[in-house]
Amino acid sequence: MQQHQYSGFKNTFGEFGGRYVAEVLRPPLDELEAAFIAAMSDPQYRAEFDAICTNFIGRPTPLLHARNTSREIGGAQIYIKLEGLANTGAHKINNAVGQALLAKRMGKTRIIAETGAGQHGVATAAICAKLGLECCVYMGEVDIARQKPNVFCMELYGAEVRPVSSGSRTLKDAVNEALRDWASSFENTHYLIGSALGPSPFPDMVREFQSVVGHETKAQLKAAGVVPDALVACVGGGSNSIGFFSPYLETEAPRLIGVEAGGRSITIGGHAARMNGLGKTGIVQGYKSLFLLDDDGQVQATHSVSAGLDYPGIGPQLAHLGSIGRIEFMRASDTEALDALKIFARNEGVIFALESAHGGAAALKLAAELPPSATIVVNMSGRGDKDIFITAREIAPESWKRFLEQEVQTL
Amino acid sequence: MSTTAIMAHMIPYFPDRELSYAAAHGLIDSKVDYLEVQFPFSDPSADGPTIEDACGRALAAGFSTARGFEFVHTSVDRGAPPVFIMTYAGIVYASGVKDFCDLAKQSGAAGLIIPDLPYDYDEGLYEAGLAQGLAIVPVIAPSTTSDRLTEVLKSRPEYVYAALRVGITGAATELGQDNLDFLDRVGSAGAKVMAGFGIRSRDQVTMLAGHVHAVVVGSAFVRAISAAADAAGPDEPAAAAEAVYSAVETLVAALRPN
Repeated sequence: MQQHQYSGFKNTFGEFGGRYVAEVLRPPLDELEAAFIAAMSDPQYRAEFDAICTNFIGRPTPLLHARNTSREIGGAQIYIKLEGLANTGAHKINNAVGQALLAKRMGKTRIIAETGAGQHGVATAAICAKLGLECCVYMGEVDIARQKPNVFCMELYGAEVRPVSSGSRTLKDAVNEALRDWASSFENTHYLIGSALGPSPFPDMVREFQSVVGHETKAQLKAAGVVPDALVACVGGGSNSIGFFSPYLETEAPRLIGVEAGGRSITIGGHAARMNGLGKTGIVQGYKSLFLLDDDGQVQATHSVSAGLDYPGIGPQLAHLGSIGRIEFMRASDTEALDALKIFARNEGVIFALESAHGGAAALKLAAELPPSATIVVNMSGRGDKDIFITAREIAPESWKRFLEQEVQTL
Repeated sequence: MSTTAIMAHMIPYFPDRELSYAAAHGLIDSKVDYLEVQFPFSDPSADGPTIEDACGRALAAGFSTARGFEFVHTSVDRGAPPVFIMTYAGIVYASGVKDFCDLAKQSGAAGLIIPDLPYDYDEGLYEAGLAQGLAIVPVIAPSTTSDRLTEVLKSRPEYVYAALRVGITGAATELGQDNLDFLDRVGSAGAKVMAGFGIRSRDQVTMLAGHVHAVVVGSAFVRAISAAADAAGPDEPAAAAEAVYSAVETLVAALRPN
């Protein structure tokens, strides 16, 4: 890899982003910014990252032409970036590896992380196991209850999973708890944020580590001789979408489409969609962006069938790119996501994670509106194994119940 | 100055509206030197569990920004010492920074403490405060580098809030020579230093005497108010108000040097 000075650091994105933190957190953030920029300019660091991508993550992940689904719809050709085939089951591992290597370079011996669906926690726990770092993952009690298999895996990797009982007991509260830990532990601890949000330098850093997904997809499309018309990805905090879109942020094409959680209904506490006028500009958890807030600025309740999208804020760069019209935003409901999951499973032999299935649902809709000569690429950011306790209950409640009862008896 | 001032921290609508007014009344009658009124935020990531829980209860009890200013106004009318409103950036930003400063001034507040609006990400807070004659109190920590401390002090703030350790509010703080050196350095530029985080005993207040202008006592008051309210129970509101009033009075007396 050729040597170059990294110049992609932005800090703010239009009116969004920034570093709105108490002075106590300034030293670790300032230190992290400097270490990140130095690492990105260091060929040795990048070579180490690339090697782990190949030997541990399993990159490149495949790009699949979803022929059966495309034929059935009769519209645009759908391609699926099978990012969920990455080790630990989702794109989260790319960023976890990048930051864990950085933490090690900085001499940190302990890693803390927040997790919603648990995919980021699992990824962080796995790379900490590999690199010999102590790992503590904060996870809301609600998420622990709905994503038990991931808790089991994190513990198997040797991580401590700390339940968070404050607030809504979901992802945002896990972020608060991790920030509290970090405020007194930063001497030896790195806070490994999993989404492209939080105070600068996290949004820049997470985008950079996730951009491997976008660059790889671009190369795979080129090799296949395909020019994409639209790229589609689900958006919780936004790490998979910003990474997937990253090669195209400065160009006019293709269309970039982010898909938020429409949940049960577009009422307070019924969804987790911040764009298209639903969110307000605010400052929460150290960054300025669009959040679901009441008139006083208090954070509102959210809902999504997918824990990974169940968060009231969106990454600042996505908020900016949405506000200037570079990224379009759509919503998919809980039901639409589940339907998409079933369609791709039957037609393509691929089970989407519930989060990614929101992107899948939007791709199905969009494909029907476009001619067969058009191409849509959807990022399956995660695979659906972890969701089996949710999807089985929704799709086949009776047989699943019988199975669980049997399991309990066997125990 | 001969004695160390005490800034008592409290949260309007915690544990409910009436009892928070009773607490303010007790603090005013106890003649604390400053009152820090925290406007609760749904995601108080710099606070420990005691204040976090209290903020959650205050929001559930009906706190709003407008009611917070009404609370400050009522307290000032009742003879409160200088009131500092503490809250998070999100609450200030939602009202508009300038409007929030205007409302704070109108309510009679003396200043604002907004830890996550530091001087280089202040959204115009320092300028708006200056225009309104409100003291904007920067919050620093022992981890603050000397470069940043120099920048913080450059605007010649009247007060500086110095956290006595890294971390969040409420946990115990062991005071040592490091703390005193740090406080002396901060105070050498002429700002009145208010020191807090983990202050709960007279011994700590005594140890800080001469090194600070004031000590800030937060979680200890929250705990005292909570314990008094819980002991009285929800069925006897008048008795509960009396208990909260006495509890804060007792704590103030216990903190004052003999």
